[in-house]
Amino acid sequence: MKVEYLIPLPVVLPLLAAGVKFIIGPRGNRLQGLISVVVTIVTLLTEIALLFAADDRDGPLVLTLGGFSPGVGITMVADRLSAMMLVITSTVVLCILIYSIGQGAVDQGASGPLTVYHPTFLILVAGVSDAFLAGDLFNMFVGFEILLVASYVLITMGGTGPRIRSGATYVIVGMLSSLSFLVSVAMIYAATGTVNMAQLAVRIALLPPDVALVLHVMLITAFAVKAAVFPLSMWLPDSYPTAPAPVTAAFAGLLTKVGVYAIIRAQTLLFPGDRLGLLLMVGAFLTMIVGILGAIVQADLRRMLSFTLVSHIGYMIFGVALGTVDGMSGAIFYAFHHITVQATLFLVTGLIERRGGSTNLGRLGGLARVSPLIGVVYLVPALNLAGIPPMSGFLGKLGLLQAGAIMGTPAAYVLLGAAIATSLLTLYAVSRAWGAAFWRRPRGPVAEPGTVVSSPGPEEHAARSPELRTDTTGLGESSVTAARFPRLMLGSTIALVVMSLAFTPFAGPLIAYADRAATESLRQDAYIHAVFPGIGR
Amino acid sequence: MTALVAALFVVALAAPWVVRSIGRNAFVLLSVPLFAALCWLLATRRGLDLIHWVPSYNLNLAFRLDALSLLMAALVTGVGGLVVLYCSRYFEAGEEGLPRFAGYFLAFAASMLGLVLADDLVLLYVFWELTTVFSYLLIGQDGGRLEARRSALQALLVTTFGGLVMLLGLVMLSTVAETWRLSVIVTQPPRGPEVTAALVLILVGALSKSAILPFSVWLPSAMTAPTPVSAYLHAAAMVKAGVYLVARLSPAFHDVAAWRVTAMALGALTMVLAGWRALRETDLKLVLAYGTVSQLGFLTTLVATGTREAALAGVALLLAHALFKSTLFLVTGIIDHATGTRDLRRLTGLRRELPVPFWASVLAAASMAGLPPLLGFVAKEAAFTAYTHDGTTATVTLAALVAGSVLTFAYSARYLWGAFAPKPGAEPREVHRPGPLFLAAPVVLSLAGLVAGLVAGPLNAALTPYARTFPEGDRPVEGLALWHGVGVPLALTLLVIAAGTGLFLAREPVARLGARLALADGQEVYRDLLYRVDRAALQITGYTQRGSLPSYLGVILVTAIVLVTGALLLGSPWPPAIAHVWDAPAQLVPAGFVIVGAALALRARRRLTTVVLVGVTGYGTAMLFVLHGAPDLALTQFLVETLSLVIFILVLRRLPVHFTEKLSPVRRVTHSVIAVAVGVVVVVVGVLATGARSLPPVSVVFPKTVADLHEHNIISALIVEIRSWDTLGESAVLGIAAAGLTSLIFLRHRAPRHLPDPAAETSPRNVWAWSPEGDEEEPPPEWSQAKADRPERPWLRGSETLADERRSLIFEVVARLVFPPIILLSLYLLFSAGSSPGGGFAAAIVAGFGLVIRYLAGGRYELSEAAPVGPGLLIGLGLALSCLTGLAGLLFGGSVLTLGVWEGAVPLLGKVHLSSSLFFDLGVYLLVTGLVLDILRSLGAGIDGQVEREARPGERREETVV
Repeated sequence: MKVEYLIPLPVVLPLLAAGVKFIIGPRGNRLQGLISVVVTIVTLLTEIALLFAADDRDGPLVLTLGGFSPGVGITMVADRLSAMMLVITSTVVLCILIYSIGQGAVDQGASGPLTVYHPTFLILVAGVSDAFLAGDLFNMFVGFEILLVASYVLITMGGTGPRIRSGATYVIVGMLSSLSFLVSVAMIYAATGTVNMAQLAVRIALLPPDVALVLHVMLITAFAVKAAVFPLSMWLPDSYPTAPAPVTAAFAGLLTKVGVYAIIRAQTLLFPGDRLGLLLMVGAFLTMIVGILGAIVQADLRRMLSFTLVSHIGYMIFGVALGTVDGMSGAIFYAFHHITVQATLFLVTGLIERRGGSTNLGRLGGLARVSPLIGVVYLVPALNLAGIPPMSGFLGKLGLLQAGAIMGTPAAYVLLGAAIATSLLTLYAVSRAWGAAFWRRPRGPVAEPGTVVSSPGPEEHAARSPELRTDTTGLGESSVTAARFPRLMLGSTIALVVMSLAFTPFAGPLIAYADRAATESLRQDAYIHAVFPGIGR
Repeated sequence: MTALVAALFVVALAAPWVVRSIGRNAFVLLSVPLFAALCWLLATRRGLDLIHWVPSYNLNLAFRLDALSLLMAALVTGVGGLVVLYCSRYFEAGEEGLPRFAGYFLAFAASMLGLVLADDLVLLYVFWELTTVFSYLLIGQDGGRLEARRSALQALLVTTFGGLVMLLGLVMLSTVAETWRLSVIVTQPPRGPEVTAALVLILVGALSKSAILPFSVWLPSAMTAPTPVSAYLHAAAMVKAGVYLVARLSPAFHDVAAWRVTAMALGALTMVLAGWRALRETDLKLVLAYGTVSQLGFLTTLVATGTREAALAGVALLLAHALFKSTLFLVTGIIDHATGTRDLRRLTGLRRELPVPFWASVLAAASMAGLPPLLGFVAKEAAFTAYTHDGTTATVTLAALVAGSVLTFAYSARYLWGAFAPKPGAEPREVHRPGPLFLAAPVVLSLAGLVAGLVAGPLNAALTPYARTFPEGDRPVEGLALWHGVGVPLALTLLVIAAGTGLFLAREPVARLGARLALADGQEVYRDLLYRVDRAALQITGYTQRGSLPSYLGVILVTAIVLVTGALLLGSPWPPAIAHVWDAPAQLVPAGFVIVGAALALRARRRLTTVVLVGVTGYGTAMLFVLHGAPDLALTQFLVETLSLVIFILVLRRLPVHFTEKLSPVRRVTHSVIAVAVGVVVVVVGVLATGARSLPPVSVVFPKTVADLHEHNIISALIVEIRSWDTLGESAVLGIAAAGLTSLIFLRHRAPRHLPDPAAETSPRNVWAWSPEGDEEEPPPEWSQAKADRPERPWLRGSETLADERRSLIFEVVARLVFPPIILLSLYLLFSAGSSPGGGFAAAIVAGFGLVIRYLAGGRYELSEAAPVGPGLLIGLGLALSCLTGLAGLLFGGSVLTLGVWEGAVPLLGKVHLSSSLFFDLGVYLLVTGLVLDILRSLGAGIDGQVEREARPGERREETVV
């Protein structure tokens, strides 16, 4: 059996599991959770196999579905880049799933409908995987659709007022981005007569350059909405923070990165050359600076993190905009790092919310004393995000800085300055939050041990937890409870923190892999040759 | 060395646990590893460790021990060990946060050791930032106090700012040098404009770390930290990192004017200004803090000069300063501990109460003031000697250094006087006598300053290798010695003593003068800067994040328009002529409908009108499909359009008739302009794109491909064979949309409007387990009655539950009669898809219409009569069936979604074409049927339930009570 047959599995397995879950429906959450975890593990193993296979083989792994010839049927392609994205995605997803199972075990009865949650989550993952594996532009659109619609469901889950409000923003912007993607695909098909990406690579090169430029701009704009590149990013901080912690963590980790991945493919495979390099650099600059300025004025931890999320997308776009192997490798490694760290931080906000009763910095206080462990699991990824060495955020930043310095153009230097400033302001944002939530003395009395604060949104605490002794609705009041954490929640968060720390000792092989992935992604001819053995090379 | 640094980090990790187990005495134990490290370093003296870390970036874990590193490492471990020892008595037993403190402190020591041993610029930077982070955590040790939090943040921001700028410089330097190895760069220094720029950036980092102007502000603030932290981090170790880096790079780059002049000038300026400032402080720690800033300026000037003499003086002073300044800090801690204050106006007569600290301070202060026979004197003599040769730069520098030394002398005297002298007017305070363990560190350190001064010869031998890394000057280096003979330096020392004494005696007027001359305080500048950043951030964020969806959409659309139009204008991609406006003139008619419908929809005020007008655009599109010869697409489009209308109307029941939000005319016009512009751009690009096509589309081979499959309907084959992978994905989309709908409708009225409902705990969490008969309520009595009392079947059983005025017999009869044919039609569409228009999707929608009719005629109870299974089951089965077909293909056919084909004749149906795709299509069919059922249940029956509940006030009250 050829290894290529593994390629569809990361999509089919979660979909199948989701179907099974719909069927077994009411038979309990435990089974649902178990299925999710098992399927994710199996998927992860498949992806690891793909990763090694793609790394062994010189050139991407290709499978055209249904036995049709490529161009007619749908082609799926797994190269180093997509395999790497898949593996990190599934790893983070596994932790998030375990976290939400832990959370669900405590929140039962109070929280959302888990039987919708689990299948939806799996379908989201299937969509993300499909987008990563698509060798066909329209199928990539389908992947986007899957993940978007699943995310619409997840973001509005629970149906509270704020969630519906922010969900509306998210859903409508999402639809607009889908529409613009679809229009771009249609235009590209109109001009080239194909949606197979390898064939597109050949045919776009034959188009008049100015037509190609127009198509290129359209496609990148559509992807940039998804990746949250300023000024197409404003929707994100308004919609992410209201969702429950695991959902926000998954969104923050995965969704914008799919956009970044799509931009990488567009820049390297479909429209190679640095036609839009400068435009992307401008976007990267604005994304970094405006994003991080947004972060430093936020009073809510989740909102603050949503802004850092946007801001750091700028780093990846910067790397892609450079268009060199160094830049691309830096962007890929940064994505790898950022998926992990940003997801971890959002999970931590869930822990903070449970212990402190809020994610609002004005209400929190004294957490370092009450729960040193939360202190550690917040501080380590927060400093990592700010690029404190020797953690992965620093290494990613270093790679990008090097790539920029090697490029050496004035624009690159401006971007280097912006990257430095962003790094400093990120540190400012996260350390100020640390000071407020962890060091400052809590203003309110400490609740009795054993009380549990648990609900998806801060505004509902008072209503949902009558046992809570402190008044969380009073202005300036803070509450600290001695709630015990479900082991799974804490355990999966710690696992992610440890994993992000492990990137440092294993930075050598990881970055070497990112280098190979970047080199491969820039070798358009190898991709074409892999899909159409007759052409290329 | 790698192991040494790693071992210290391990000790740091274990430290909190040790302190928690045995209390403050654990510090005695914890000092042992540091002393052991000192011994090891002194015994080793020289070495190189190299481990590859990230080959792609050329990063190595490279550690190197040479004369300069040895000096620094000895300070880090030696002073560090003593200060840790001191901690065992400085803190009260069982003080809160002590375990954490021990961990941070040891981790800092490990980082600092790594910093001075690193031979790789990135590794150096790693430790550099780690010291910053641990310093942050140590300053914020008492984070409950606002002042501590502020100072910690300030130290973090200022030094990280410098650090990041330096990182940029390091990256630029290494890009030119093509290596990160410090020793390689120093031996083969690169040159060029980039290198000069890089050096200036690196200097920013070094100066900020060592609190040189204009970055001095953070160090005095950091004095809120516990005294051991001040003594170690902010006197002996961390603040020396900047000086160390300058000293490290100067042998290679002292001839780069930008580097040398900047460092020397800022250093000298800092020495004078900070010394002047120290003369009017009243907190002993602040006197010392400004003194430290001043001395760091002195050091920077010396090591940046680039001559062997200055370098030698620099490293000697580095050692001297570490010894005397940490002594003084530790003594201050003892005084603070013994009396409870550090205010020199309130301390009196401590000379007699604390004799040992007094004598230690005398030695240290004398060394600081530069009096023989102490090490401070030796170093200062050497420094003066280094600038006595001719040259304007040398003379100016010498003048500044002498002036700085005068100030140093004066504040040294002021410290001694302030801490120990009897003062008239001050109340003597009660004094706790310190124990021997508390005194050990300052005594050892002050004595070390004395001994080192007396044995200047061996010290000279130890430090000269560093000086030799600079090029040889025109005159021989005199070396460190206690007695140089009579000459200019000695004269200058006498001058310093005389003038310093004068300044000290005139301390009151000097302090007043200083206060009057004071320029803008660094604190204010820092605060103002931070305020400005915050305000700008607030303004920008307020401007971009309006929280309004229309404005976000507007921004996205305008950006797209601008970018695409820009691309259009940039090139001239215009085809010579537009060859092809329409395929058939008849297309204009539906196109006109679409345009008019869309335009009217913009203006409509009633929701229902808008929905219908939007529907018109959909039907128009379907007509276009018909005219294009695509009956499959048209059929599907018509069905979907109609079903959407029904769904919309179901939802609109719960919404106001008119749009409630009033748009101002300006916004209405803006929206219309944007909408039209988007349309125009898309049309233009469409024309352009079609005009640019030169190759045949892939679709030309479809007829042949489909024929090979023995199919007859290309669209159907595309959907279930060729592009079935897309279909599978879109099926998942539908399934998940159904799930989302259900979760929203059935939670909105169950969840959090009211206090937590104990009953909700036991209610099924699966929303699809909800039955259409209502939420937690029993079916109305009429329903059970209808089942029991009426043996004869009514046309629609569920309609019995409807109010009489809502029932229509004709409708019920029709609904009952058409239901079976509709289902049959839908099955026909499903199975005949291979040869004629149809397919699972369209078929399912047709079946859905059957359900719609039953529901509309008979109400929500009728719906469950018509479809006894839950939508969850249908959707799940459908999705699983599609996936399994795909997987089976993978297992048996070699690729996903390929299986065999079977063709044959079946009675009644005629020629039947069976392939794996039929199973696939069946999956789609089940799934879409489930979706329609789900929509009817949630948006139809679910909303019915809500409406009914709200109409019954009694039940509502009950709900709120719960």
